[in-house]
Amino acid sequence: MPAETAIEVVRLYKQYKGSGEAAVNHISFSIPSGSIFGLLGPNGAGKTTTISMLCGLLAPTSGTATILGLKLKDNLKLIKQQIGVVPQEIALYPTLTAYENLRYIGNMYGLKGQNLKEEIMRHLEIVGLSAHADARVETFSGGMKRRINLVAGILHNPKILFLDEPTVGVDVQSRNLITEHLHLINKRGCTIIYTSHLMEEAEKLCTDIAVIDNGAIIAMGKPQQLIEDHHTNNLEQLFLKLTGKTLRD
Amino acid sequence: MLRLLATIRKELIILVRDKGGLAVMFLMPMMLITIMALIQDAPFKDYQEMKIPLALVNHDKGKLGKSIEAGLRESKIFAINSKDFSEQELKQKVKGGDYEIGILIPEQATQRLEDRVNDFVGKKLSAVGMGGAALSLNDKVDSAIDLKVVFAPTTKKSFKASIMGSLKQSASKLETQTLLAVFSQQLNRDTGAKKEQPPMADFIEFKELNAIETPKEALQLNSVQHNVPAWTIFGMFFIVISLAGSIIKERESGSYTRLLTMPGNYLTIMAGKISSYLLVCLIQCVLMLLVGIYLLPHLGLPRLIIGNNIPAIGIIAASAGLAATGYGIMVGSLFTSQQQSSTFGAVSVVILAALGGIWVPVYVMPEAIRMFAGFSPLYWALTAFHKIFLGDGDIKSILPYAAKLVAFFVATVGISFFYNKTHTR
Repeated sequence: MPAETAIEVVRLYKQYKGSGEAAVNHISFSIPSGSIFGLLGPNGAGKTTTISMLCGLLAPTSGTATILGLKLKDNLKLIKQQIGVVPQEIALYPTLTAYENLRYIGNMYGLKGQNLKEEIMRHLEIVGLSAHADARVETFSGGMKRRINLVAGILHNPKILFLDEPTVGVDVQSRNLITEHLHLINKRGCTIIYTSHLMEEAEKLCTDIAVIDNGAIIAMGKPQQLIEDHHTNNLEQLFLKLTGKTLRD
Repeated sequence: MLRLLATIRKELIILVRDKGGLAVMFLMPMMLITIMALIQDAPFKDYQEMKIPLALVNHDKGKLGKSIEAGLRESKIFAINSKDFSEQELKQKVKGGDYEIGILIPEQATQRLEDRVNDFVGKKLSAVGMGGAALSLNDKVDSAIDLKVVFAPTTKKSFKASIMGSLKQSASKLETQTLLAVFSQQLNRDTGAKKEQPPMADFIEFKELNAIETPKEALQLNSVQHNVPAWTIFGMFFIVISLAGSIIKERESGSYTRLLTMPGNYLTIMAGKISSYLLVCLIQCVLMLLVGIYLLPHLGLPRLIIGNNIPAIGIIAASAGLAATGYGIMVGSLFTSQQQSSTFGAVSVVILAALGGIWVPVYVMPEAIRMFAGFSPLYWALTAFHKIFLGDGDIKSILPYAAKLVAFFVATVGISFFYNKTHTR
């Protein structure tokens, strides 16, 4: 694997117990270091299963994944130290304050003391929440919660960041702030793997995309190149052309 | 270590801010201890100081009647009412529930007993060439003396047998004494020996000893000694609801998934939870014992006696706390919603508590239920506490119970670990 490749996936396959179909069907792709890689697909396409396998949450049925040059299967502990995850859910403790939530998460990554405190306050400042550091998360609006949820995934300055629908259900201002912050951390060298249903946002944010449907990758490349190749005007049209207009459950 | 301490701190902050949870963990057992100790105070006294109403119709007025009455009074379990009922009246009174037992001693019972003994001794002595004919020629000498005992329809068979045994013992004692007296009298008369009273005291005496030879030997299982440890253990196990709820909440919010993507493993996260809830259990235990020692006496109840073996109390409290947290983690791992876990957690703890003798002591339960008590971790903990409080139990004596509780903890955490491993990978 070339040094500039952050993630290399080879024939990754996952079939859940009791299911007759593959959730992810022998997919292969590589993600260059420093890119913002959009994994796009309709509901049930296999996006979350793919990300879950790359984060070590699910064991693949077969296939291999290499992250930062380390085999996922054999180096899970090392890999976990270098990745960050922002789940779709607000994965925070509502009765803890923003600061307490972030301190706990920082501690879990081995961060502590003054350094951790400064890092928390720096991130809170960037996402516009420094004044709310001591307020309980349960009192926050949806947008504020999303921003804290993002900070929780990047507090330890990961080399790779997995984002599962990070802007779902938030207002335009919060979404704008989140995408700006993602650009910022990407510029500092963090590779971002991102899933979303918001094609406009993905088109602006992603340097590379892969469209996944029924567990298989059906298109992959630079967004603009794919749009041109498929004679469409934007990513949404491309997406509908590739995945069809049939409703998904 | 940082991850463990961070998890403990996080859990404790969440617990402290959960006012409802705090009430369930501390206020509920405190109220249960107080209310149940007050409610059960009278029944406990009744059970131990129970007096069974007995109607004694003594038409004899002689030694036999007096001996039976003395025997009944000596047993201290009867409230004896001397009455002058006819046999029919006595039956009606017992049947009507005025008395549990009625005893009717017929007229001249003592005289008939003496006549019968005289007759027997006379015949025996004349057979060996000593003495003359029988001393009494009473016609009724061969017929038995009918002592009539009437039991209420609800009286248990075992209790009936016990009463009949006690009456027979009294009668038999008098028979023997009379026999000896007559024998002695006859022999003195025939041999001209110096008149000597036969020994009237029992040849064999039973002495009741207390199994506990310590200053606490007078201490009995009263309402406080039962209810304080019982509801303390119940309160400790009731953290199942809070702990399982916290695990499910963490899973539903995605926090658990996030934790799994971080360095460290499941056991570190669980060890943090276990340590926090174990600490809560120990605080609960100390507070509840303090309620028994300092609060309950102000409500007219006896003071809780906990003995001097604090390390033994600590071991059992910690073991019970571990068993409770293990159970909570298992419930939280196996169930998918808070509603399921809280319903199952509450109901299962109540059932385990009932079987384990928390509501009422195991020894008053029916035999069929009693055999299940041994399967309840609450019973193991309660028995160990009773051993320490009532029996001066040392660490060695409570270790088997502590070992069972720790084994329960290991089993439940093991099940949770296995379940999580197989259901997340």
